[in-house]
Amino acid sequence: MTIEKLTSSVKGMVTSFGLPRVIIALFLLVLFILAPFVGVNVGTSLSDTLNRFGMNAVMVLAMVPMIHSGCGLNFGLPLGIIAGLLGATISLQVNIPGPTSFVLAILFATPFAVILGWGYGQLLNKVKGGEMMIATYVGFSSVAFMCIMWLLLPFSNPTMVWGYSGTGLRTTISVEGYYLHVLNDFLSIRLSDHLLIPTGMILFFALLAFIIWAFLHTKTGTAMTAVGSNPVFARASGINVDKIRTLSVVMSTWLGAMGILVYQQSFGFIQLYMGPFYMALPAVSAILIGGASVNKASILNVVVGTFLFQGIVTMTPSVMNSMIHTDMSEVIRIVVSNGMILYALTRKTEAVR
Amino acid sequence: MKLNLTRTFWIRTATIALILVFSVFLFFIGKQHTVLVDNKAVTVNGVELKALQLVEVEVNTLGSMELAARDRDKFDVTGQKHKVTVIYTDANWEEHTIVRTFRIPLMQDMVMILLPALVANPEGDQSLWLENYELPTYAMTAPAEEPVVTDDLAVLVEI
Amino acid sequence: MTLHMTKTQKVLRFMGNNTVPILFLIICAFGIPLSGYSANYLVSEVIVRIARNSFLIVSLLIPILAGMGLNFGMTLGAMAGQIGLIFISDWGIAGIPGMLLAMIISTPISIILGWWCGKILNMAKGREMVTSYIIGFFMNGIYQMIVLYGMGAIIPIRSNALVLPRGYGIRNTVNLIGIRKSLDNLLTVRLFGIPIPLVTFAVIALLCLFVLWFKKTKLGQDMRAVGQDMEVARAAGIRVEHTRIISIIISTVFAGYGMILYLQNIGTLNTYNSHMQIGMFSVAALLVGGATVAKANIRNVFLGVILFHLMFIVSPMAGKNLIGQAQLGEYFRVFVSYGVITISLVLYEVRKKRDRGLAGLVLAAEQEETV
Repeated sequence: MTIEKLTSSVKGMVTSFGLPRVIIALFLLVLFILAPFVGVNVGTSLSDTLNRFGMNAVMVLAMVPMIHSGCGLNFGLPLGIIAGLLGATISLQVNIPGPTSFVLAILFATPFAVILGWGYGQLLNKVKGGEMMIATYVGFSSVAFMCIMWLLLPFSNPTMVWGYSGTGLRTTISVEGYYLHVLNDFLSIRLSDHLLIPTGMILFFALLAFIIWAFLHTKTGTAMTAVGSNPVFARASGINVDKIRTLSVVMSTWLGAMGILVYQQSFGFIQLYMGPFYMALPAVSAILIGGASVNKASILNVVVGTFLFQGIVTMTPSVMNSMIHTDMSEVIRIVVSNGMILYALTRKTEAVR
Repeated sequence: MKLNLTRTFWIRTATIALILVFSVFLFFIGKQHTVLVDNKAVTVNGVELKALQLVEVEVNTLGSMELAARDRDKFDVTGQKHKVTVIYTDANWEEHTIVRTFRIPLMQDMVMILLPALVANPEGDQSLWLENYELPTYAMTAPAEEPVVTDDLAVLVEI
Repeated sequence: MTLHMTKTQKVLRFMGNNTVPILFLIICAFGIPLSGYSANYLVSEVIVRIARNSFLIVSLLIPILAGMGLNFGMTLGAMAGQIGLIFISDWGIAGIPGMLLAMIISTPISIILGWWCGKILNMAKGREMVTSYIIGFFMNGIYQMIVLYGMGAIIPIRSNALVLPRGYGIRNTVNLIGIRKSLDNLLTVRLFGIPIPLVTFAVIALLCLFVLWFKKTKLGQDMRAVGQDMEVARAAGIRVEHTRIISIIISTVFAGYGMILYLQNIGTLNTYNSHMQIGMFSVAALLVGGATVAKANIRNVFLGVILFHLMFIVSPMAGKNLIGQAQLGEYFRVFVSYGVITISLVLYEVRKKRDRGLAGLVLAAEQEETV
């Protein structure tokens, strides 16, 4: 009797959580269990995972507002990233070293994010129902457009431009001396030789996540959820659907910009040109792994999803390499992340449109 | 499961079988071989045969080549059955033409025609003057480990 | 209700419906003089590109007929074609027999992949395009698993020229010397010094005839009905899901053949990249030709190939002559390729919304817009 009850409750949990997620979580668990046996240090792995979590979580968070307002998965994340890159490059051009440059980068990125996000939101309002495909291509074309711009914009800081010609930005620009590890090192805790917790970065994410969470509980926030779950009803109750949707897109774009800044300060480099091209896919699949669907997402999904996804990305190469001496991690990452997106796209029950 | 032996079923089976037969046929006629022609002194059945001074050789109609003594060259052919034409001048300044057909084993990548042996036994079996040739292992220089680009971005980096 | 339009209205309407091709004509009109290429060179290049790419682009037509949008899943067919080519290169089958054998090998793989892709797309009705796009990425992972880890280890590959020095996995580039240009060079005529690969064109013409014929068959008519309205088609007794799957299968198989044709012209296979590029370029070219997500015909294919590749050929040189950087032109053409797809998708969605939302007021709305 009890066993039956147990199995049924487990089944219920699995179905509510989604089979792929359970498999991914179990896979990660197995990797962590296997790690010490194949000579991989668990502390280092955990530390790496946490670090990557901090680097990517904000970009995953950027999915939340758009999913809430029913704009679907934000495949147009590169647009937000471009706003962040503009902020970063302008901040370096102003050339104030130290942590101030990070604040400056945020300040410079914000107007770009708002303007680009607003335009992007207007566009998405015109194409309701086909947002995801168009978002993908808006992201791609904006990246390609910015490639031209990076070559032409009149930046002159010698750390950024190509040495021999003096014009055109480099493909990767080091942020050393500016805001390298400003968040990572803030209040960081060293538990052991291998385990380092990047407190500042995680706090920064927590702050942004809290702001989003609080926002979603304000009047405008609930209106956003209403627009997402039932646009007809929302319109009937006097909500300006287009305005709310635009707001959500602006928020997503701004979060994307913040996301890339956080990523850079930990990674150490600004990646221009084709760098942001495919950055949307890992973020999209991370939030889906966390339990979100095409039109439902919470902060918890972000946390769980980013941790699982980044955990797999960190653990598979090291464990696989020591086990079978082949690095299949790239392939596993591609299959898992895109498989997850496919799974979410094909759910009938969760799909409104 | 009960097999439905309708006409459609038979037509389908026959088509698939036909395509399979056709593929095998394609394999036979499309298989690429390299025919090396070698003009070097050889020993066949204990008889030492000298290389020819100058010889003109052609496989199928791929254009004739002139080989001096100790020369070696190659023809790339497809299929199994081929014709070799050898024109040479003997010690009495008389010109001889030998035309022979030969078969290459299906999975043999390279064969070598020993011209002196062929000239000595123009009527002899092909095993006398045609031998299978394996590329010596040292010839296959192991290239440095090349990095595998699986990066998605490569799509646009090199268009 | 008939529309009485003035001449200017007609012109505006024509331009509205052909925004993308007109845009491209303008780009080419500026780019060609800037690049400084001779007309002879451009024509011969364009002819090469037509022979190389049109088969692939035609493979996109049938899913559009069935209302499934642009089949980004054609990369699946391209993968199947590449697997066929890897095998024949390993076995050393050359020439036309080699190509035919590669096609035969690719067919069952394409059918299975197409069937699976169709199944998935049936589960994601209404967002086929983004789903097929992700399917392409997903299958790329599986393809890498097979080609980079399976081949040479589980699937026997004999040739050392193909396998990586570590003993398994196919190299980055596979030299297709055996079949290089075997179809193109079978029969060529020179017109004004420009070589024209007649057999390749004949094959493409045959495919076009097939598509035209197919549209008239019962299955083709069913697909059109499904494309217009799934529910009406279902009520009329058409097996909607089945029909949609078949359309994807046909597209995938043709994409595989197209890829083999494409690679025989190029002569080298970039094992891990070729197939990913091809989907994007084919879709962009088709859209440049004036096709939309819902409507495309053979005219769009050829106009698209010519305009798109003309832009592609001239832009690096034009960029170099204009700003002094060829790199700029290369980024420009990438931007234009993506921009075109974006604009076409947006225009399509906007038009769809307009047609649907203003069903009764179409006339008034249009007149207002065009005044």
